Amino acid sequence: MDDRASAIATPAADTAHRIKIRVHDLHFHYKEFHALKGISMDIPEKQVTAIIGPSGCGKSTLLRIFNRIYAIYPGMEAKGKILVDGEDILDTRYSMNRLRSKIGMVFQKPVPFPMTIFENVAYGIRHHEKLSKANMANRVEEALHSAALWSEVKDKLKQNALSLSGGQQQRLCIARAIALKPEVLLLDEPTSALDPIATGRIEQLVEELKSQFTIVMVTHNMQQAARCSDQTAFMYLGELIEFEQTEKIFTKPDKKQTEDYITGRFG
Amino acid sequence: MQVTLTRQLVRDSERRAHLDARYDRIFRGVLKFCALLVLAALLGAALSTLWGGREVLFGQGLHFLTSDAWNPVKDDYGALSPIFGTLVTSLIAIVLAVPVSFGVAMFLTEIAPTWMRGPVSSAIELLAGIPSIIYGMWGLFVFVPFMSGIEPALSATLGRIPLIGKLFQGPPLGLGLLTAGIVLAVMILPFITSVMREVFQTVPTRLKESAYALSSTRWEVLWDIVLPYTRSAVIGGIILGLGRALGETMAVTFVLGNSYNITSSLLMPGTSISSSIANEFNEAVGVHRSALIALGFLLFVVTFIVLLIARLMLHQLARREGK
Repeated sequence: MDDRASAIATPAADTAHRIKIRVHDLHFHYKEFHALKGISMDIPEKQVTAIIGPSGCGKSTLLRIFNRIYAIYPGMEAKGKILVDGEDILDTRYSMNRLRSKIGMVFQKPVPFPMTIFENVAYGIRHHEKLSKANMANRVEEALHSAALWSEVKDKLKQNALSLSGGQQQRLCIARAIALKPEVLLLDEPTSALDPIATGRIEQLVEELKSQFTIVMVTHNMQQAARCSDQTAFMYLGELIEFEQTEKIFTKPDKKQTEDYITGRFG
Repeated sequence: MQVTLTRQLVRDSERRAHLDARYDRIFRGVLKFCALLVLAALLGAALSTLWGGREVLFGQGLHFLTSDAWNPVKDDYGALSPIFGTLVTSLIAIVLAVPVSFGVAMFLTEIAPTWMRGPVSSAIELLAGIPSIIYGMWGLFVFVPFMSGIEPALSATLGRIPLIGKLFQGPPLGLGLLTAGIVLAVMILPFITSVMREVFQTVPTRLKESAYALSSTRWEVLWDIVLPYTRSAVIGGIILGLGRALGETMAVTFVLGNSYNITSSLLMPGTSISSSIANEFNEAVGVHRSALIALGFLLFVVTFIVLLIARLMLHQLARREGK
């Protein structure tokens, strides 16, 4: 069992990168429902890792454990280990504040806060650092630059964030997440609510950001996984079926199930 | 044959379109009539109170607004005490009810376990259904003795604080502005709570989750995200409560003490517009009667001004947020 787990844990050809997140025998229960069944995987640093699979396979659930966002709801329980830089984040002694400044998250639909564009980015920073006005302005600008949004919003920082287009809103959410200078960025189907052009910009952004962050991206769009990621995990019914270099997964997967899904035979 | 059939079809569809247009017009007319009816009722009520109170309003002019005298024997009337009492009791009610409502609504939407949400929400709605006369009786027979028991303690503690101390000095009568304000607070609490609860539930989960993901605490999510998101509806709920507090008659009449003195102490009895009317309407004739109707008109004006201020506040807030 353990052998098999470690056999699928690391993408075969990948030894060049340090392991950022090590998931070990992770189980997740929601009331009676056993949503994740013994997931083990190693996520390398400063790479893009895509998680694909049909609806309900547990890919979003897995992502939502990495920053323990599930913990705000009653009745949910995660068992196992998730080591980030060797420390178990599921341990209740691991402070939520520290975890969430280390691991940022961007959600499916763009959800700017009901505030100005500037405040949207500054809001998160204020939870972690006390900055002078000038420093804060710099940090916000820096984050908006990194999210490739600065040139579009620099003249309307005082406007409500809801005045932006959907794609801009999503990049604002990315700016908001990276403003905290996290080490890991979780993207939960970040382009599912966007048009093709906005999607293209986000994908390009992901490519740019991976030099600074470890990115884990859930997507239902297989072309997107193929385009953007370095390795891809395929999940089905709460289990990790295959975790490989993206190229390998999409050209000659080891498992029949993976091949069926990728070629569109189910899912 | 074919041609006549086609003609027949065309004629049918023309007639249909004609009928549709007519029904549509009638429907629109009915809706417009309903809306105008509301305006007419409002205008009618305002004008008839204005007309009924003309003797005092135009006969005494400003004196009626600035005087705190109320002397039916000399026919000398001033509206200041009732206006003062109305505003003070409503203010107390709002100050007490809003934070508690916020707490209850917040607990029910964010923190309470699921099994508890339903029963507590229904209990709150039932509370809103209690007739005000019951609140009045409860206020007089239960709450007034209780207040006269704790008022000495209030005077001895809060009454010693400089500046606001004056508000809490006075004889422990039990009756008075503070008592009326608290009873009003209990009465408007369910209204404000239900509105807040409803609108808090409309906040998208993803919005809250994004804030949690930036390591906001529950309090911060509520204060920074949920409240601004629902702000106009929340203020609407508060105004609903305020409107009720301003006009509430029965409960206030029972516990306010009905005295036409303006005092600095909240423990002293006072009067409000609606309780003055309720108390004296029976025996009022001539100028006295006109004075009471004029008070009714002033209640309109006061309510209107309060609503206006609330609107302006809302507008101001929206501007600051860059909308």
